[in-house]
Amino acid sequence: MARTASTKLPLCALALTLLAGAFGSEARADATLDRIKGRQKLTVGIILSGAPFGYIDPQSRAEKGFNIDLAKALAEKLGVKVELVTVTPPNRVQFLQQGKVDVLIANMQFTEDRAKIMDHVQTPYDRAGGAALGRKDSGIKDWTDLKGKPVCISQGSNYAQPLADTYGAEVKGIPSQPESMLALQGGNCVIAVHVAPTIKLLLADRPDAWKDYAIVIPTELEPADSVIWLRKGERDTGAALDAAVRELHASGAMLEMAKANRLVDPTFLEEARRKYAAPAKP
Amino acid sequence: MIDQAVRTFVALAGEVGLHYDFLLSPSEVRPWIAGMGTTLLLVLLAIPLSLAAGVAFAAALTSGRPWLAGPVRAYVELTRNTPTLVQLMFAFFALNMLLSKALGGAANNPFTPFFWVVAVTGLHIAAFHAEALRGGIEAVPAAMVETAHAIGFSSFEVLRYVTLPLALRTAMPAIVNNLVNLVKLTTIGSAIAVGEVTYASIMIWTQRDNVLELMIVILLFFGFINTVLSQIGRYVERRLAVPGYGV
Repeated sequence: MARTASTKLPLCALALTLLAGAFGSEARADATLDRIKGRQKLTVGIILSGAPFGYIDPQSRAEKGFNIDLAKALAEKLGVKVELVTVTPPNRVQFLQQGKVDVLIANMQFTEDRAKIMDHVQTPYDRAGGAALGRKDSGIKDWTDLKGKPVCISQGSNYAQPLADTYGAEVKGIPSQPESMLALQGGNCVIAVHVAPTIKLLLADRPDAWKDYAIVIPTELEPADSVIWLRKGERDTGAALDAAVRELHASGAMLEMAKANRLVDPTFLEEARRKYAAPAKP
Repeated sequence: MIDQAVRTFVALAGEVGLHYDFLLSPSEVRPWIAGMGTTLLLVLLAIPLSLAAGVAFAAALTSGRPWLAGPVRAYVELTRNTPTLVQLMFAFFALNMLLSKALGGAANNPFTPFFWVVAVTGLHIAAFHAEALRGGIEAVPAAMVETAHAIGFSSFEVLRYVTLPLALRTAMPAIVNNLVNLVKLTTIGSAIAVGEVTYASIMIWTQRDNVLELMIVILLFFGFINTVLSQIGRYVERRLAVPGYGV
């Protein structure tokens, strides 16, 4: 489904251009873009679920991570300052809908359900699926092995439904990822499923503490595009951010940010760079 | 029939901008209804535990034996003065893990998250019961206790037949208060994935983002349980009232 969204892109862009042409260059931007320009500030809802996406630096107490860098880069592209607002899975959509934030860069992959209540920036900034962390001796080799087994996820993760419905796992939603890791170590679940980059980084960073554990299932669960979400109907904001995301891909800035934040496997971003950089060549 | 009613409700709620669509999806409704059942079960198990432990603690506190009163006093202070959520996290993540290790693996550990919620919330509220009952026991006129001793009652008999029954009457409003709190406290189970009603709701609203709709139901649900509980409390209070005694 994410794929169809991206193939529709050129059409969308064309339609937008036509619309802009029809209404002339005097056409007013939507409320959010007006507000961003008016206040000279882009308010971004971010989630601090852990490295590499978003976390508090223990030394400086500042927010750091890929999502934060992306928010800053987007604001720079729009020529405004950035304001970061920390959101959590239960409140993030309310924050967006009540206007407390302009956009969400909050580890939210594209799903049909979300697309019903919000709009998103067409070009994805990353692609992520779930990795299964478990003991090396757990005997789990495939997602189908999880039937009837307790599996820990974060509350708010979109892996709950496929794990329960498709694979028949006994899903345990733990408030956040660090606690889910504790529950895994305590033997309260056989496997913990989280966004792959966070798990890979954890294993790379703390090999001693996690020496008995590995990503036991070779495939990723429900890989989907990570997109920026905005309020329904905010086309101009969406278009402005879409252009900015494409530029970040094309210039290689997105890949740089990913590497700086130690995204262990930036294959998607390398492909995206090639894809968006290509048309710019004469 | 019920199906039709649910459909009508979802449509009507949709008119005023409330999204109860999940009610039409069996795979989401089932755990949610089960969550209400789990909350009720938690309440039904934790209330007797809290009362039994509360009476035992109060008896120990007023026993006049330092070796008995001392440790219980320490427990009561520790429990009353620390957040219940932290106690639960500690019990589940630390204590339970140590237990698993001692028993040779998680597979041999019989203690489920459900058990820890009942134990932590029940014993937490027991500390408050104990203080309420201690107040009641100490409020019994000294002359009455002396009289009981004089006619040959042992210390236990004095507690059983004289001080505790009177203390229970004095402490009743405070105990009902504590029980109301206990009911609300069971929601911390959501932190360790016990499928009670808040947890079940979190699992739905993090997918559908209908927080407001589910919050309304949770508030009504707990409001209902606690209204019933207070009514029972008031009824028991009236039944137990001793004419001419007390305040």
